[in-house]
Amino acid sequence: MTTLSTNSAERKPLIKSRALRRFLSHKLALIGTIMVLTLTFACFVGPYLLPYDELYIDLMSRFAPPGTNGHLFGTDPLGRDIAARLFHAGQISMAVGFAVMIIATCIGSVIGVISGYYGGAVSAVLMRVVDAFLSFPSVFLLLALAAFIQPGPVMIALIISATSWMEVARIVEAEVKSLRNQDFVQAAHMLGLSNRWIMFRELLPNAIGPIIVAATLTVARAILLEAYISFLGYGIQPPLPSWGNMLNGAQQYLATAPWLAIVPGVAITIAVAGFNFIGDGLRDAFDSRSDLG
Amino acid sequence: MARYLLSRLGQSLILLLIVSFIGFAVLTLAPGGPLSQFALSPGMTQEQIDKIANQMGLDRPVVVQYFDWLSHLLIGDWGTSYRDGQSVLHVIGSHLFATLLLMGTATVISVTLGSSIGIYSALRRGGAFDYTMTVFAMVALSIPTFWFGLIAIYIFSLNLGWLPAGNMYTVGDGSVLDYISHLIMPATVLALVDVAIWSRYMRTSTLNVVNQDFVRTAKAKGLTGRRVLFKHIVGNSLVPMITLAGLQLPMVLGGALVTETVFTWPGMGRLFLDSLGYSDYPVVMGLLMASAMLVLVGNLLADITVALIDPRIRLD
Amino acid sequence: MTDEKKNSAHLNRRQALMMMGAAGAALMTPMAIGRDKAFAANADATGQLVLAFSQEPTVFNPLMPHIEVDEGLYYAVYDTLFDFDPDGEFFPILAAEVPTVANGGISADGLNWTLKLKEGVTWHDGTPFTAEDVKFSLELTVDPDFRSFRSTGYKLMQDITVVSDTELTWTMSEPFAPMAAILASTYIVPKHVFDGVEDKNATILNTAPIGTGPFKFKNRMAGDHIELEANADYHMDGPFLKTLIIKYVPDLNVMYTQFKSGDIDVIGLQYITPDHLAEAEGLEGKEVTVAGTATFESIGLNMTRPQFQEKAVRQALYLAIDKTSIIDALYYGVPTPTETYMPRQSYYYNDDLPTHEFNIEKANALLDEAGWEKGSDGIRTKDGVRLSFSNSTTAGNHLREQAQQFIQQTFAMIGVEMTIKNFPPAVMWGDYWMNSEFDTVVVGLNTLAGADPDTSDYFMSTMSPALGGSGQNTFAYQNPKVDELLTKGAQNFVPEERKAIYQEMQAVMREDLPFLPMFQYAVVKGWKDDVTGPTPNVNNRIDTWNVRDWART
Repeated sequence: MTTLSTNSAERKPLIKSRALRRFLSHKLALIGTIMVLTLTFACFVGPYLLPYDELYIDLMSRFAPPGTNGHLFGTDPLGRDIAARLFHAGQISMAVGFAVMIIATCIGSVIGVISGYYGGAVSAVLMRVVDAFLSFPSVFLLLALAAFIQPGPVMIALIISATSWMEVARIVEAEVKSLRNQDFVQAAHMLGLSNRWIMFRELLPNAIGPIIVAATLTVARAILLEAYISFLGYGIQPPLPSWGNMLNGAQQYLATAPWLAIVPGVAITIAVAGFNFIGDGLRDAFDSRSDLG
Repeated sequence: MARYLLSRLGQSLILLLIVSFIGFAVLTLAPGGPLSQFALSPGMTQEQIDKIANQMGLDRPVVVQYFDWLSHLLIGDWGTSYRDGQSVLHVIGSHLFATLLLMGTATVISVTLGSSIGIYSALRRGGAFDYTMTVFAMVALSIPTFWFGLIAIYIFSLNLGWLPAGNMYTVGDGSVLDYISHLIMPATVLALVDVAIWSRYMRTSTLNVVNQDFVRTAKAKGLTGRRVLFKHIVGNSLVPMITLAGLQLPMVLGGALVTETVFTWPGMGRLFLDSLGYSDYPVVMGLLMASAMLVLVGNLLADITVALIDPRIRLD
Repeated sequence: MTDEKKNSAHLNRRQALMMMGAAGAALMTPMAIGRDKAFAANADATGQLVLAFSQEPTVFNPLMPHIEVDEGLYYAVYDTLFDFDPDGEFFPILAAEVPTVANGGISADGLNWTLKLKEGVTWHDGTPFTAEDVKFSLELTVDPDFRSFRSTGYKLMQDITVVSDTELTWTMSEPFAPMAAILASTYIVPKHVFDGVEDKNATILNTAPIGTGPFKFKNRMAGDHIELEANADYHMDGPFLKTLIIKYVPDLNVMYTQFKSGDIDVIGLQYITPDHLAEAEGLEGKEVTVAGTATFESIGLNMTRPQFQEKAVRQALYLAIDKTSIIDALYYGVPTPTETYMPRQSYYYNDDLPTHEFNIEKANALLDEAGWEKGSDGIRTKDGVRLSFSNSTTAGNHLREQAQQFIQQTFAMIGVEMTIKNFPPAVMWGDYWMNSEFDTVVVGLNTLAGADPDTSDYFMSTMSPALGGSGQNTFAYQNPKVDELLTKGAQNFVPEERKAIYQEMQAVMREDLPFLPMFQYAVVKGWKDDVTGPTPNVNNRIDTWNVRDWART
């Protein structure tokens, strides 16, 4: 194991290129990348190509099925173009998802690695903080906070982040805890490397697989949580569209205008599945140990 | 071990206190309140609202209200629901069965199915089954539970008419078969996502074990696949699985909340939403404390079990 | 129609006929209301009926603060002294006769009341019902230790005296015309369950209510349903059902689906959503009917805000609402456009108010004339006041949210910026509403107590909490003329005279526009065609007002 760690330090550039190579040969990851890129492109460029404005209400053409009069995905109960709304909503929902992923993963990783590395009192305190957040049902927190503030995209992202970092922290902590007594860490100590170096250059990279898996789940979680909150009526408020609040009123029209429910639901599924596929590819790509198995 | 348990218990109690105070403060300081639901009733004047607020002690400072609530909690009195005047424990208890039935069924399905899929996928890594299940799991994880529920209702209730669209049983029927027909859709919808979660985690943790020295050693020693599987892989995969089981608990409440909403299931999730809507603080606080306790106890048990199973992790 | 009746009850036959005409004969199922118990007629109570509500009845003590849906249970378990029929006329329930000036029940000055009760009525637990119970119930409403639903009217009652088991008297500290209407929604509770109870807020009524009503409380499965069984000793005709189940179905779509599939026999409160009306009317074996309610939808303005000080602004805003499109498209034509808070079924409804028109040019012209000029952002300003404000309502009320967004668009066409700021119900209707912290709201209000036209709580200038009052005048409306009319109306016991007063008031408010009236709510009710009895009644808050008459054939 000592040889492994010294090796890993030496051959870092090699792993990177190999990771990229592995990622590119990962079919699902490619599909995921294509899904996400296509959706991103559609959301950011699509609105300029569509003949309709996402806010324009036309009661004469409400509930038009997909394909009518150039309404690609039909219209909603106010006669607004669903495609235009979907793409605008996508900008918001994906931004929320990304923001949450970045914030939550950073917080979670730092807390997890510190806690796992130092153990003892530090770990006890930090993990109790994690417990505190975990034992707070996130939906409760979200709803309670929504009562205080006007829930906009930034606030929703922050709130979801506040309830999403703990899982990463727990996973990183568990991983680091099980790694810290291993030979390569002992070796690093003996080499006189600083704690910070060991934590973030030795231990964290070794925990990257679980972190990426957790991070992908976090994007899923963020987009889904936004949808949940909006479905319950407490999320991003109309007229600002988000995939979540587009689904909000859709249940009512399930029997008569099912596309209202299907279109945003499919968009969410594509986006989240895309991120999951990418995450899976990354996991395999970065998993240096799997070579040896 | 006993000392460790005591200190963990002490920590948990402090944690509960903090959680309860934050929850109480957020609820009480939030605008609106339990009397706002009467605001649109004819004859309900501000004067009357003020009088009732005074009688209920809602006009006292938050800290005073909190310690009043806490001192009652300490002697086992969880308070009285603002909505129906019944004791909070009774209210929660009366919704408990529905939730346990739904979550229990879903959990049994998801743990057994999810774990099996996870282990099998990991062992046959890269095979057709693994590949299919990986894709399935990720797609399932990408579907919003409530949306999946809506689509299920659309297909199986609205179009095919096979299954009831909601509720736990038909009033006046209530036979086992009737319960089952109402249970199928929500339990499956809930379980499907959980199956995905469990299979992903199980696959990941099994792979971690597979890649560790002792398994390779065991294989090298010529032990058969089955013995390796049961003696090492399953045993060692259990460690993160149990930790994750503890982690899953608050998600149980979250999942219940959304699924029960879509399928109008009369459980604690709906109770939570209804109570929030009516600002029924005692019930909301009760549910909050109950779930926080559940999570803490779950995590504590998980830690202990892990320590008992895995000698490499010491409880220090 | 007799002379005797004319000046006695608050409404007389002629008025009632007028109301029937207004409500439409189609809504009136021929039926006898308020029949006393026929000879052993209750023996044939058969069958079960499932009535569904989309909210859960939870408050079982009817004198404690409750919401509309709770009354759905009260009418089954409890009785009032008398009640309004669909025509707005009183009929006796626990009272032997409705007290009037003509029958000597009320003195000519309206100050002395005598109430005679029926004999031989018993509570569900077998205890005889007496005048003591009525006295206790009336006094409980003003008991300082009791969380009373309301005290309006009750606090004017003095010296409540039990003359005999079936008779009691009291005096009013001032004449108060709406008193009878308030009594018509006062459910009488049994005194004996309060005996020896320390906390009057925590009696057995909270969990296992005991009343004199047609149904006995059997059990409740929280979050799901309440089961009631026929009261074989009921003192009026009925009940005709052995079991009444009040089912809680929190989702309107699920409720409708279950109505369609037959799991639900009668679809109650929140009813069939307007978008399902066309389909519901075609359902096999179901009766579906549209019934007006006393609730009116409006855009309420916070009259303390600088934007709304000018009448021209309020009138321009009203002109910029495309009411027809909102009602016809968004609400599927179910509600009726209105110009006032008074339901058109009421005797006091003013039919001569100017009709709203949707006219953007006129609205723009009005604002131009008043000196509101468009800025570079297209929003009008005048004297530093920007014609921009927020609009709030309950988050999650989809139809309202749609209407809101549509209004936002037409307001933009006259240089008015309306932002949407919705809240969950507990926040929306808390201090935000009561203390007039909003700019504008979309709200459905029922300002009436039964069929009585008094709305002082809502429109009297002294009733605004934001202005130091204690009522429900959350629009903070101040108009001396309206104050004067309201005061005059509450002290007048002659319906014809009151009618003139309240019609004038409606005209004043239509001109003044402290709220922009949109429509009078109508709901789509439905029941299986083997169910008889359910009858719309705009004077009661919920369908079960005559549940004693419901039957299955």
